[in-house]
Amino acid sequence: MKWLSDDKLNHLRTVVSEPDFSATKYTFVKELGRGGMGIVCLAEDRELDRLVAIKILNTPDITEDLRNRMIREAQIIARLEHPGIVPVHDVGTLPDGRIYYAMKFVRGNRLDEYAAQGASLRDRLRKFQSVCDAVAFAHAHGVIHRDLKPQNIMIGSFGEVLVLDWGVAKIRDDPRSSAFHETMEGTVIGTRRYMSPEQERGEIDQLDERSDIYALGAVLSFLLNDQPKVSKAAAAISSKAMSSEKANRYATASDLSADIGRLLDDEPVSAYRENAFERTSRWVGKNRFLVLLVLAYLLMRIFLIFTSRR
Amino acid sequence: MSKPLIGVILGAVLGAIDGLTAWFTPAVRDQLFGIVFGSTIKGIIAGVAIGFFARKFHSLPIGILFGVIVGAILAWLVAFLQGGYYFQIILPGTLVGLIVGFATQKYGTPATAN
Amino acid sequence: MDPDTDIGGPAHRFPATNHSAIINARSDDSRVRRRAFDTILASYWKPTYKYIRLKWHADNEDAKDLTQSFFASAFEKNYFATYDARKASFQTFLRTCLDGFVANERKAGSRLKRGGDMDHYQLDFAAAEHELAAHASSTLSHEDYFHREWVRWMFTLAVDAFRQRCEESGRAVHFQLFERYDLSDDEVSYASLAADFGLDTATVNNYLAAARRDFRRTVLEKLREITATDEEFRTEARSLLGIEAK
Repeated sequence: MKWLSDDKLNHLRTVVSEPDFSATKYTFVKELGRGGMGIVCLAEDRELDRLVAIKILNTPDITEDLRNRMIREAQIIARLEHPGIVPVHDVGTLPDGRIYYAMKFVRGNRLDEYAAQGASLRDRLRKFQSVCDAVAFAHAHGVIHRDLKPQNIMIGSFGEVLVLDWGVAKIRDDPRSSAFHETMEGTVIGTRRYMSPEQERGEIDQLDERSDIYALGAVLSFLLNDQPKVSKAAAAISSKAMSSEKANRYATASDLSADIGRLLDDEPVSAYRENAFERTSRWVGKNRFLVLLVLAYLLMRIFLIFTSRR
Repeated sequence: MSKPLIGVILGAVLGAIDGLTAWFTPAVRDQLFGIVFGSTIKGIIAGVAIGFFARKFHSLPIGILFGVIVGAILAWLVAFLQGGYYFQIILPGTLVGLIVGFATQKYGTPATAN
Repeated sequence: MDPDTDIGGPAHRFPATNHSAIINARSDDSRVRRRAFDTILASYWKPTYKYIRLKWHADNEDAKDLTQSFFASAFEKNYFATYDARKASFQTFLRTCLDGFVANERKAGSRLKRGGDMDHYQLDFAAAEHELAAHASSTLSHEDYFHREWVRWMFTLAVDAFRQRCEESGRAVHFQLFERYDLSDDEVSYASLAADFGLDTATVNNYLAAARRDFRRTVLEKLREITATDEEFRTEARSLLGIEAK
């Protein structure tokens, strides 16, 4: 038997793990990433002549349970038709038995990459507000993401914000509905830095929308982290979202989004009670030009009084 | 709050302040009430005109310019009727028009389209 | 599914755990145990030989004798019956047994006797020695080296099994295309293959896709034979296919 060199061996390993799209309308372009039991690759849809991202269940044995879970993940995402949630185009089975679903290929940067490029605080907050709106939409349809983090948020080339990777999402009140990973009590789902306390403790049945709110607060904290001047109001919003007690967090992602909106409009936010001085400073800051005009008028008036007395 | 209403309130307040500063001119101090009243009415008239203009035309520079013109014209009229103190009346009157023009463009609820 | 392009048939399922040689190594039926042992031996003898040569600094004759003695003892004393998949992979278990065996043999200092039961196995130690001489690695740890050689050998066995399968099913062309495109060191294009085989490029593309698909299935079948549980199979497959680094 012929000796297989290291290069040949690596090639064969790539050959057998590369998805086989031969009986589909897709042409494999390149692998984009992998994690857990799935890989995501870039493919060309030959019928529609466009690029798509395809997530493939990349486990060597395809049980009915795994197959159903993958399809369920696709269904969860597909039912969420929102500009901030990556749309699913197609679901199918590769000739080698692996399940896949095709979704929009987002050209752009992840949120952490976007922040690293030096985006201003206001821009970050606007993007974050869009994330909250997408998550609020998912919650309104009973879907909890459970793995929100900057790496799962894309900023597209037109500035659009999309939430990705619903692989561990769950439909509230539907125990069959977990998208992928095991949801037995004690199982830890999510990414540590963005995990709510109840997630860290593996209290699967305690996870609800407010667990996502916690993660959103952690994402906001990440976005504020390298900013030179963060207002007390912004810090308070992040802290409230990340309260260790669920009851003390924002009740909904919409509430969080609304407070961010107020922050952007220089309005008082619900997470922070201003004192009189802070309230006045904020108002003056917001209406700077008017205040200057009135001051200029008063100064002019005083000038005229003095000149007329002389 | 509607833009005309902002114009009225701001015009009235600034017009009243304008009139009150006449107290520092001893020659006209005994006519203070009339001056304050007239100045306030002038401010209200300017505010209404500028406010309605802002409701119709949404442009900060043009709104400010309109306010300046209205403020200056009304102030000149008052000074003409007074027969003097042109500088002391027209300059602040113009500035009031500028402030009201800015405020009505920036703040207040625009008219809703039908 | 297109029968012309699908060699292995429409089944996408892999052999169930009862095809596992590890499980069958514990069977009460001696014939089943023997067949299981043959499978384990076929999958592990070469990496074992190379491992002994490198880690235990045995010369080629000693390594050959130790390899055969180890597997003979493993069969006679049924080492593999004690394997517990919950504790470690079979590869790790076998390597641990091997280290213990070689250490004991060295300590005893006894003259190595080649296991009587091993004589009928056609193990090409000369080829293994040649490979070792030509391609020895000094950068990997012994454990990583064992694993790498095991992966290499598994793929080698899979290529051979795949070739046989293609010949038996009348699909020799599929294997030849696979061999030219994926096994050869020469760079070839679909167009040149099409010209050489008198096919159009679309057919070459389809045959190659089918061949790769069936090769993948063959690799995983080979792996299934030497894993004890589904969990172990998945873990080892991810390592074998390079999905996760071992």
